[in-house]
Amino acid sequence: MQKGLLEGIKRGETALEARGITKRFPGVVANDHIDFEIRAGEIHAILGENGAGKTTLMNILFGLLQPDEGEICIGGKSVKFRSPLDAIDLGIGMVHQNRKLVPAHTVIENIILGHPRAGRILNLKRAGEEIQELCERYGFKIDLGAKVWQLSEGEKQVVEILKALYRGAKILILDEPTSALAPPETKKLLASIETMAGDELAVVPFITHKLPVVLAISDRVTVLRRGKVTARLETEHATEKSLAKQMVGREVIFRIERTKVEKGKPILQVEDLSALSDKGFLALKGVSFSIREGEIFGIAGISGNGQHELAEVLAGLRKPEGGKVILEGKDITHSSSLERWQMGVGYIPAERVEVGSIADFSLVENVTMNFYFDDNFSRRGIVDYRKIRKLTKEIVSEYSVAAPSPDTKAKNLSGGNLQRLILARVLSRRPRLVIANLPTQGLDVGATEFVQNKLIEAKKEKAGVLLISEDLDEVLSLSDWVAPLYEGKFMGIIPGEETRRESVGAMMAGTSLMEQEI
Amino acid sequence: MRVGNYELKLEKRLTLTNWEAAIISILAIIFALALFSFIFTLAKINPLLAYQEIFSYAFANPYGLPLTINRFIFLLLCTSAFIIPFRAGLWNIGMTGQLYAGALGTFAVLFAFGGNVPGSADLSPEILIPLMLVVAALGGAVLAAIAGFLKGKFNVNEIVVTMMLNFIAFWLVAQMIKEGGPFKAPGGEGQSFVVSPSVYAPLIMNVPFTIFLALGAAVLLSFLFARTKIGYQIKAHGHNPAAARYAGISTFKIPLLVFIMGGALAGLAGYHYFAAVPGVYKISSNYGYFGDLAFYGIICGLISLGDPLVAIPVTLLFGGLSVGGRFVQGKLHMGFGVDYALLGVLMIALVAFQFFYRYKIVRVSAGEERLDVGVHS
Repeated sequence: MQKGLLEGIKRGETALEARGITKRFPGVVANDHIDFEIRAGEIHAILGENGAGKTTLMNILFGLLQPDEGEICIGGKSVKFRSPLDAIDLGIGMVHQNRKLVPAHTVIENIILGHPRAGRILNLKRAGEEIQELCERYGFKIDLGAKVWQLSEGEKQVVEILKALYRGAKILILDEPTSALAPPETKKLLASIETMAGDELAVVPFITHKLPVVLAISDRVTVLRRGKVTARLETEHATEKSLAKQMVGREVIFRIERTKVEKGKPILQVEDLSALSDKGFLALKGVSFSIREGEIFGIAGISGNGQHELAEVLAGLRKPEGGKVILEGKDITHSSSLERWQMGVGYIPAERVEVGSIADFSLVENVTMNFYFDDNFSRRGIVDYRKIRKLTKEIVSEYSVAAPSPDTKAKNLSGGNLQRLILARVLSRRPRLVIANLPTQGLDVGATEFVQNKLIEAKKEKAGVLLISEDLDEVLSLSDWVAPLYEGKFMGIIPGEETRRESVGAMMAGTSLMEQEI
Repeated sequence: MRVGNYELKLEKRLTLTNWEAAIISILAIIFALALFSFIFTLAKINPLLAYQEIFSYAFANPYGLPLTINRFIFLLLCTSAFIIPFRAGLWNIGMTGQLYAGALGTFAVLFAFGGNVPGSADLSPEILIPLMLVVAALGGAVLAAIAGFLKGKFNVNEIVVTMMLNFIAFWLVAQMIKEGGPFKAPGGEGQSFVVSPSVYAPLIMNVPFTIFLALGAAVLLSFLFARTKIGYQIKAHGHNPAAARYAGISTFKIPLLVFIMGGALAGLAGYHYFAAVPGVYKISSNYGYFGDLAFYGIICGLISLGDPLVAIPVTLLFGGLSVGGRFVQGKLHMGFGVDYALLGVLMIALVAFQFFYRYKIVRVSAGEERLDVGVHS
């Protein structure tokens, strides 16, 4: 492998060119003759829905997959990557969405891990100074001695970026860079990215749904749809609407009108509820609220502020430390999760793959997860799989889950389709209380719209909906009540019509409503 | 790899039919036998002759076949005992201890009814045989339940617990049959009293009735996993405990239940070998050999991929080869444990060939697709 193809490259010169990249998987063409070029010093966003072929393309650019056809040129020379090591050697850096770091090691140890110069003897001091320099140049603030498990998602991403830069990356591929960040963190990251582009690095963010980010920072955009390039344009000629149309292939409505539903009797009452996190500290510190029939109660906030614990306590998967949970007048504080399912609680977990589904189970078996205990679907200990199969076919078509058959395994579904399946399974029980934790996270524009509409439908059918989301716009446009959660406490509970974006944003970051009024 | 004008390439399988799986397994067996024939050749023995001896003794000989069938029953029960927890994602390494517990239960019943004194008691088989079965199953279940309980309640590693319980059960048996132990044979050395002929297990065509227990359990388990609520819960727990918990499945009850069920079947294997096999009818001084044989339940369970029906032919083959291997070793004067060596090679081949459950070799014309690497200018 020839190194240094990108040494001394000047702004505006082509750093990487992909010609006719094609990758087929059994039954699907994931990348269909994709062409694009990336220049030094530009921010070139690659935009596409889930299943558009972004991940495949990213893996090809990073040497994790080999294309069936087509070639990649770096600095004008055709190259083939045998493994990511070749790509790294040629100056490609990759920041994965699922962080690939060693949690028990420090930041600096993670950054130098695998660096050729680290060799057998670690010169942490010298490495530390060099990394510190990188931090200063690009405006990253991070404690190099901290252990990675102590870091927030945003900080972990910084570590990954530093790792790539320290390896000498000239082309930086970022997978969904802002998806896990709070608004202030996003702002900082975007500033750093712009500095990097100023240093003649090519930055290539791959983005699914955060269109404003694309518009804010990129110089050029390449849009993928179903494995093909559908648009290639300068960002100044693009609008949010036009990009969405290219991605989805049809017009997308961005603002959902809040539907007025006559509110009925209370469904859920929560009194002074607190709970411990997995690590044993108090993550939920006494929250009280109630949800009535036909209401969506939105909890805004960055993950890690007690949302996960709240959702699990309500679903019966975590014991509360104190407080009360009352469902339609019945105290369910100590009920098991099975009892709650039977009483009409429907939980849509944030962890679709780890908790919400069973990868090696077929769609029918996955649907069975919420019906095996139901007397309509199992009699005298025997599960009526024929009936569940029929139900699966119905809900799969009603929720447009793209799958060849009910026997397809869940692991073969894309993220969006898996979420449709989970939603279909839970909502078809007609739950009285829907707990939706990050229901649209990581979903593309089309699937997001679908999920949001289904939650509104549940509301219209007089269910109470608890919506937990990091997406402020989503919470604001859907909820009848908005409660920003920060460090285990509500910073206020505001009627949906009266919310102001800035005020809720500040509350997500820890400023209570009262402080703002002062 | 290139072959003439064609290139061979590995491709991921998306589906695997039962036929394909069966063919792959048969190929693995042929491969293992071919591989092992080198060992026969090294010992200057014609492998074909050796295999003919092994198979004819194991499956067609009036002395060998009953041995094979008895081992088959034993192995099938042990394999089912492994498979039930395995389907719940848990590893039962303790069939050995559980079958000892079953044997102890069996002899405890006989002891309680005075069966330890030869000819002194008139034992009624109608009562005692069912009682022995129940207590044997209970013994295995109780021992295994310790592991299931600790796993479900405190998440203690079940492999370690079942393994350690094996030692406890082993020495417990030794204690019971040694000088001064209650089950000791009168005047005998290091073995238990003999089962009274009046409570010998009924034989059908010279085969103990326990064959119906073993086959019945396999069929019932197959139904359990395919159709029942409890089977679904076990499978869900096995594939993804977190998702099972989300779906309201108790992560305490399932581990406890599968170990109780598995332990009960292993306990029956103990009854079978020490109280139902003609010519044994006692806990012999070499009881450890059968304890070791129980470990093949793990192997057979893994090879069957946890399918109780597939386990039937697999355990039959393993039972036969262990009998035939031991026979050929004596007959051809070979100086090593042919039975265990052969089973070992077979096991590795079967496990290695499971690679082809996930991949298949396809042929493409050369030049159509090439994966070369490096920089081209």
